[in-house]
Amino acid sequence: MAMFKKIVKNFGPEWGAAVMGTAAICITMQLSSEVARPFSFLLYVGLGFYLLATVMFVTFLIPWTLRFFMYPEEIKKDLHHPIRGNFFPTMPISFILAGTGTNKLGPMLFGPWFAYHLSIVFFFLGAVGIFTFGYLLVRIQFLHKDVRLEHANFSWFIPPVSHLIIPVLGVCSLDVYWAETSLAPVLFIISMIALGVGFFNFLFVGAAIWHRYIYHIIPQGRLAPTVMVGIAPTAIIVIFLIKFIQAIEASQGTLFGINFMSMFSPIKIIASILWGFSFWWLILVTILLFTHYVKIKDHPLEFGWWAYTFPFEAFAVATGLLAACVASHFLYGMLIILNTLAVIIWITVVFGTIKWLESGAFLKPQH
Amino acid sequence: MKTRSIIIALAIVLTPFIIGIPLFLVKSGGAIHEEANFISDTRKNNKGITYKGIKVDWTFCPDWEYKPLFFHAEEYLVFMFHYSNDNEYNVQVMPSYMFASPHNRRYSANEEISMYIENALENKLKAEDQTPITFEIPSNATKHYIVTFEKPHSLDNFYVDVDVFRDVTLRLHYKKEDGEWSNYSNELVRKYKGRG
Repeated sequence: MAMFKKIVKNFGPEWGAAVMGTAAICITMQLSSEVARPFSFLLYVGLGFYLLATVMFVTFLIPWTLRFFMYPEEIKKDLHHPIRGNFFPTMPISFILAGTGTNKLGPMLFGPWFAYHLSIVFFFLGAVGIFTFGYLLVRIQFLHKDVRLEHANFSWFIPPVSHLIIPVLGVCSLDVYWAETSLAPVLFIISMIALGVGFFNFLFVGAAIWHRYIYHIIPQGRLAPTVMVGIAPTAIIVIFLIKFIQAIEASQGTLFGINFMSMFSPIKIIASILWGFSFWWLILVTILLFTHYVKIKDHPLEFGWWAYTFPFEAFAVATGLLAACVASHFLYGMLIILNTLAVIIWITVVFGTIKWLESGAFLKPQH
Repeated sequence: MKTRSIIIALAIVLTPFIIGIPLFLVKSGGAIHEEANFISDTRKNNKGITYKGIKVDWTFCPDWEYKPLFFHAEEYLVFMFHYSNDNEYNVQVMPSYMFASPHNRRYSANEEISMYIENALENKLKAEDQTPITFEIPSNATKHYIVTFEKPHSLDNFYVDVDVFRDVTLRLHYKKEDGEWSNYSNELVRKYKGRG
């Protein structure tokens, strides 16, 4: 019991990142399985990742939730922390990802009706959590007296990313089942609000972080993985755009009066531009990592390595979906490479996390 | 790393593969019940529809049984459409599909179920399904697309709209006669273009 209490006390807000990094692989696997018949077994490996992510999600959700009631002072301390605080939305994001996984792979387990209803429950739970933490964190940031230039880092992108991910599940739901129901306008409005919040916050927060990277020293090595988060916002918008056009297409070419033929061409152009930015950022991360952090040997083993997983996987998903619209052969080839790399990164991070836990660092959180 | 830690890490990273690969082998080996009964193929009796040089044929299975792992099997209406380009130039198509039945039940195709049954269907019909939203059909070539609809209970008639042409929709009518599904008519429905 004493050990369980210790775990709950030290169970930081960032554990949702591990669920995110595992859950998104089920989608990259599903997309890769579509490319050609030799890869069709990947659909079932994706199902394995979905089940593993579900087990992790339920296991982590228990101490994560209990901590709010058993150790509210620890929660308060983390919420006010300029870095750790931004990781709170990772758990509501996990709800959205669990919903997306259920939407895509759930029919294999439970049939479509149950899977689509379960995923909609995840949508509303995740959206409530994301908006709640979004307001809470902005309020804290605005009223905080001690936020300094050196605190800015790319983990600040997590709250905007959390809002951007809501419309992904929103349009996935419209694509398969809900477009013809009275819930459709509700899903659409919530998705559009979240998209607006996420997009503009991404621009504003991005400018603040960019400012720090130019006018101040770049963060120490333990925050190096957070640079990867920069890939996520544009990659997620690409995912949203393609799923949105697929939802319109599935609704006989018109959804809420938005016409497929008039939207498809601009969406192809905008999605390609945004995908290009994520690709550029991926190369930037590689350059920064190897020409700075690895070179000066400042890249310690941290739980934060999970930041390498989800943004990279989101980019792989964006690549797979964009391939359904443009440059199919090139992008499908790239998807297979990215999917393989995503698994290698995930395996490395799982081993790293176990080693990190073995070192006892879990019980000595760094503030 | 201690041996115990290595074993834990290995157990985690191998879990998705340990779950996935046997499932794939069981599914693809046919051990899980999946039945199909293709009742019609318009290619056999030349009943396909040609419009502006694009010939649309379809193969129809009214009772494809798909069994989710934890739930009972459900029947699906499965079509494989075959688009042949008889023009002298390549054409780009972006088809979409809608199912409609009495009591105003209208819904779109279920891409997920299509994906799960794709391999079995491709093997059965010896044709490869297209993945992109839009695809190009070279002159004198044929491309195939799998479409799956959830099947309402006590269904005795329905139509499917195939939206592949710019100005008309291909509508396929089906009804049950003496327990058998019959494709009693097909029509090209002019699309509404206007403001109100």
